[in-house]
Amino acid sequence: MNHSSPFGITRRNLLLGSAGLAGSAVLTGCVGAGAGPAAQPSTGTGGGTPAEVAREVVLQSNMQDAGPRQALADVIGGVSDFDVTINTVATSQFRAQLPTYLTSNQAPDVLTWYAGSVTNSFAEEGLLYDVSELWESGNASGFSDALKDLSTYDGRQYFVPTNYYWWALFHRTSSFEEWGVSAVETWDEFMGLLDNLQTRGVAPLTTGLANNAWMAAAWFDYLDLRVNGADFHRELLAGQHSFNSDEVRAVMARYAEILPYFHPDSLSWDPQQAAAPIARNEAAMYLVGTFATAYWPEDQQSDLDFFSVPTIDPSIPSAEEAPTDGFMVAANARNPEGGKAVADYLASAAAQQEFIEKAVSPNLPTHPDVDTAGFSPLIQKGLELLNGTDQITQFFNRDSNDELQGTADTALMRFINAPGDVDVILADWQTAAEQVFSQ
Amino acid sequence: MSTSAPPATAAAPGEGRRPRRSRLGRRVPPVVWFFLLVPLAVELFWVFWPALNSFWLSTTTWGGVGVAEPVGTANYERLLADPIFRTALWNNVLWVFGFGGLSVVGGLALAVALNQPRRFVGVYRTVIFLPMVISMAVTGLFWRIVYAPGGPVNNTLELVGLGHLQQQWLANPDTALGAVLVAAVWRQVGYIMVLYLAGLKGCDPSLEEAAAVDGANAWQRFWRVVMPQLAGVNTVIFAITVIDSLRTFDIVWVMTRGGPFNQSQLLSTYMFEQAFSYVNLGYASAIAVVIFALAILFIITYVARQARAEEDDL
Repeated sequence: MNHSSPFGITRRNLLLGSAGLAGSAVLTGCVGAGAGPAAQPSTGTGGGTPAEVAREVVLQSNMQDAGPRQALADVIGGVSDFDVTINTVATSQFRAQLPTYLTSNQAPDVLTWYAGSVTNSFAEEGLLYDVSELWESGNASGFSDALKDLSTYDGRQYFVPTNYYWWALFHRTSSFEEWGVSAVETWDEFMGLLDNLQTRGVAPLTTGLANNAWMAAAWFDYLDLRVNGADFHRELLAGQHSFNSDEVRAVMARYAEILPYFHPDSLSWDPQQAAAPIARNEAAMYLVGTFATAYWPEDQQSDLDFFSVPTIDPSIPSAEEAPTDGFMVAANARNPEGGKAVADYLASAAAQQEFIEKAVSPNLPTHPDVDTAGFSPLIQKGLELLNGTDQITQFFNRDSNDELQGTADTALMRFINAPGDVDVILADWQTAAEQVFSQ
Repeated sequence: MSTSAPPATAAAPGEGRRPRRSRLGRRVPPVVWFFLLVPLAVELFWVFWPALNSFWLSTTTWGGVGVAEPVGTANYERLLADPIFRTALWNNVLWVFGFGGLSVVGGLALAVALNQPRRFVGVYRTVIFLPMVISMAVTGLFWRIVYAPGGPVNNTLELVGLGHLQQQWLANPDTALGAVLVAAVWRQVGYIMVLYLAGLKGCDPSLEEAAAVDGANAWQRFWRVVMPQLAGVNTVIFAITVIDSLRTFDIVWVMTRGGPFNQSQLLSTYMFEQAFSYVNLGYASAIAVVIFALAILFIITYVARQARAEEDDL
């Protein structure tokens, strides 16, 4: 008996099989190819009378965390003129699918997103509905000039910001009291504080750099804001300066100063795990956005406090990172006017107040009429911080794009692993950044 | 003793009466052609068309919005100059040999060891196969805990006095890929074992007995008598292993996301990052085409050689 093909493999089958393999290996192309400008809508029946269509509004949301998600649903429950359907999608998927949503013939009417360059790039493609009217006579008319600036592309507004949050060095009040230390304002005091904590056997700083190490960019952003200022930082992220420059080298020199003070396990933690050693009093401070307060246990919430990253050069105007969230309306929506009306409702003082009270993480309102007196002391202090600062940026990826963020993650992680190779790392970073900007 | 009297010959008389040639020559009714055309159309639409699209996309630059711009071979030129792509390609080569080699050697050794009738052998087989029923993503999460700074691996090293070997396995660029590889092999080895066990069950024990009577030692019996009978299984395992190693994505994505600084990036994770994090669909398609070419290269060379060897045997 020969041992011929118990599995039936012949050359002919093989060729057919390999052709099939071609399909599975490159199937990703099909996803994109189907979403071209000529693509037919994949969902939606297109039915309904004009009156029904005018009542229906689809809200595509990336608020996947339980608190904000429920808060948004509650706020939307107050809309009476429209039947609003909320589709919640995980942020990473939302981000990847966003171009597809917006180019679809029946795009969702109103979508959650981030203010700034990431929204403007869609406005540039003509995919967003002009909401300037809301800034002239709607709820957004009372928003600050800084917010209006952030929402404007080519003289028109395409974004309605509804809340924002801030980044700072978070710590526990009781731990600082126990160690006999307090918040500092200058870099020398800060280095002294780090030394002091380390000699007590406490890890002065934590962060979460496992998996995608985007957290490493928080310190880069802040050190650049403190060393070179917000204007330089924005221009750097827009490709107008080189990462391989003396200015950025000065930033990395400061970064190198603080590297020895990080808890060594920060490399293996995700952003959530990095809060745990502070909860256990084994570490002191964490430079993070307010969303992270949810990572600490319930009974420590009132114990949390923060201070701003200390000043390095007093001649540089102060700046803070305050990522701004809000809503945009799709140009291809079935009911863009309805979407605009819902965005206007969400921007109202009452809706913002309700959202911030119900969402667990501390958010700040964009509407000046929101009564902040009832908000927690932490939020009050956050408002004070942002009102007192000269300039506001958002975050590395929001001020540039996700691909440039990828080059930052690579460069900063290499730097954290081998701070001595800074020259090579910055040269490579600039090469990678040029590739991103050339597209 | 041997109960496997060749079934082929037993079935032959009844089957043999029907003249084979005439059946092949008989006209196929149109309705059969129709039924064949339906799956062909489905296959063309769902498999070949997207595949061709991907080849086309790889010669364009497209951000998912608007019209794709043709750029000729620019994406492939960019690949050649891209240090992350080079790292990913090299990692993928390491991965094919590491993942394929370790799981095949381990699976074969376990299959041979557990092919003998012993007490609790069923329990062992089940336990070794068990990881296979867990999804790659869950395997990755589980091993992340195993490799955590205060996790079982580091604690065990401390316990046996090898504390100086403790490290952050997934955060250290020198160990990250290897650490993920171990987790992937841990899951794959049971699968390969089961395939080899099935192959070993199909081997004719009388041949081995005859070789033993002729004075062949265990080593010779295994390589000269058993292995040739496993040729068919080997072909299947080779194909499965190469395909599995080239499409490995989830476990790396869950455990390291290609990090730290792209040192554990594979072609598949890099393709995903380019396509869905950065929405460079043209460039990502070029990476997909490279993956496809690699898979075809491996599989065609090996399986075509196997097929020729089998045809020569006939």
